[in-house]
Amino acid sequence: MLELRGVRHRYEGRVVLELEEFTVPRTGTVSVVGHNGAGKSTLLRLLALLEPPTEGQVLLNDTVVPRRAPASLRRRVTLVEQRPVLFRGTVRENLEYGLQVRDIGRAAAKGIIGDVVERLGLQPLLSRRRHELSDGEVQRVAVARALVLRTDVLLLDEPASSADRAAAGALYRALSAERAARPFAVCIASHQLEDAYRWADDIRALADGRLSPVTPENLFRVELPAGDGVKTVRVGSIALVVMTDRAGPAVVAVPPTDIFVSREPLPSSARNVFKGRVTGLAIEHRGAGVHVRADMGGVELVAAVTAEAARDLALTPGGAVVFSFKATAVQVF
Amino acid sequence: MDFLAEAFRRAWGLLVAGDSEVYGIALLTLKVAVVATVLSCAVGLPLGYFLATRRFWGRRAALTVVNTALAFPTVVVGLLLYGLLSRRGPLGGLGWLYTWQAIVVGDVLLALPIAAALSAAAIQGVDPRIRRTAETLGAGSWRTAWTVAREARFALAAVITAAFGQVVAEIGAAMIVGGNIRGSTRTLTTAVALYTAQGDFGLALALGLVLLMLALVVNIALQVLQGRGHA
Repeated sequence: MLELRGVRHRYEGRVVLELEEFTVPRTGTVSVVGHNGAGKSTLLRLLALLEPPTEGQVLLNDTVVPRRAPASLRRRVTLVEQRPVLFRGTVRENLEYGLQVRDIGRAAAKGIIGDVVERLGLQPLLSRRRHELSDGEVQRVAVARALVLRTDVLLLDEPASSADRAAAGALYRALSAERAARPFAVCIASHQLEDAYRWADDIRALADGRLSPVTPENLFRVELPAGDGVKTVRVGSIALVVMTDRAGPAVVAVPPTDIFVSREPLPSSARNVFKGRVTGLAIEHRGAGVHVRADMGGVELVAAVTAEAARDLALTPGGAVVFSFKATAVQVF
Repeated sequence: MDFLAEAFRRAWGLLVAGDSEVYGIALLTLKVAVVATVLSCAVGLPLGYFLATRRFWGRRAALTVVNTALAFPTVVVGLLLYGLLSRRGPLGGLGWLYTWQAIVVGDVLLALPIAAALSAAAIQGVDPRIRRTAETLGAGSWRTAWTVAREARFALAAVITAAFGQVVAEIGAAMIVGGNIRGSTRTLTTAVALYTAQGDFGLALALGLVLLMLALVVNIALQVLQGRGHA
């Protein structure tokens, strides 16, 4: 288990990260979401023990990590940066690097590397050098280089940012296979919510270096029934109409901007229409937008409208409101 | 022109004939240069790495001192060292004045700032992600430094060449603390100065050519080593 306690981290006097507590559970998968500059990469560098926090502590399995973390502790955590680099030499030499550092013999190293190479489809790249690889391939090699180390904690900073969809899928499948074979903690920082949903035991949002109480809105874990096309799933007390061919456990998300807000139900093509009461109004985007929170019978939904629309609808906390959205607006992950 | 041609002929004759004095001076120069380059780089390269990668109080001042020392006049270094090594100096007990070891010390003092300042610049030019990546893959301090140095190998080879160039071409300190003693501390540069002053232009030119060849051979050797590297 990797923990940050009472951390305040500064760069050139400016606080860039402030976390009372942040934990990556022993075999958990944590996704940290946030915009560029929210502090995700800084958080991962602290968790990777690459730099000590200006204030506060890092704990690895309940042991406080010294300010200058010894290599023995650093070897239990590894980080794949957002734009990873490969060392001089072949892909194979890169994959061997961390194993050599750990004094793992050639035969054992070959076996470990072989498994990961197979999972990530890197066989054709093994004798290539970094200038012969695409950005996506570099990213896959970097993930493989981290996976072969079998660390307790794997930190990934935007692991699929340079990969196309197929490559990203292969990457995540390889991670799943690795975790199935050997449970370990994973913490992924991403500004792509899809990555987060795919992995999240726990999604945490970071904004301006702080954990934001506002997690990505309208996210629900559901059990999708078998079959193709339009399906109805229960989310608490409401029934959500979703269009997907997928079945089984999934995360569904309704983008707040896709929700149509009115005072009364209106005739429309929307398959999802929920009546409820406004629980909060938050001004966003320097006053141009308003986030309308509403309780739809025990389930909170958030819709985004313009400030002008909010005024015209005379939305007030406690007032009646109707949220409508199409089945195709519901994203399934 | 005849005078120059004659000098060249004489120089060539001395070199071809394997003149013992010429080759003795060349060997001593090579010995001093290699020992001084190895010592200055052994200290200067790690110092450059330290200055480039560590953040500590006074780092900027240390870099300024090292950079300023690049322009240290060789005769001033020779003079200071003479004061230290002379019989009444604090290091007089070593008995190193007018020995090749004294020349090595002077050369090390002159080449050290080159090795430190230029290697610091070379290391600073390496993508900082290389160091972070090595660390996050579990490398200790030495392994990390080696990994970063490998990435800067071309620039570091140039640093070694520059240090060798400084050492082999230096005359001020070698003259003052070496004393230009025949068969003992006479290096190529001090000998060239002496023979030119004595009017033996042919011998001076022969020694000058040896000096140039020495520099050429070392540079070619370093280039061959660099050429073996791959990305």
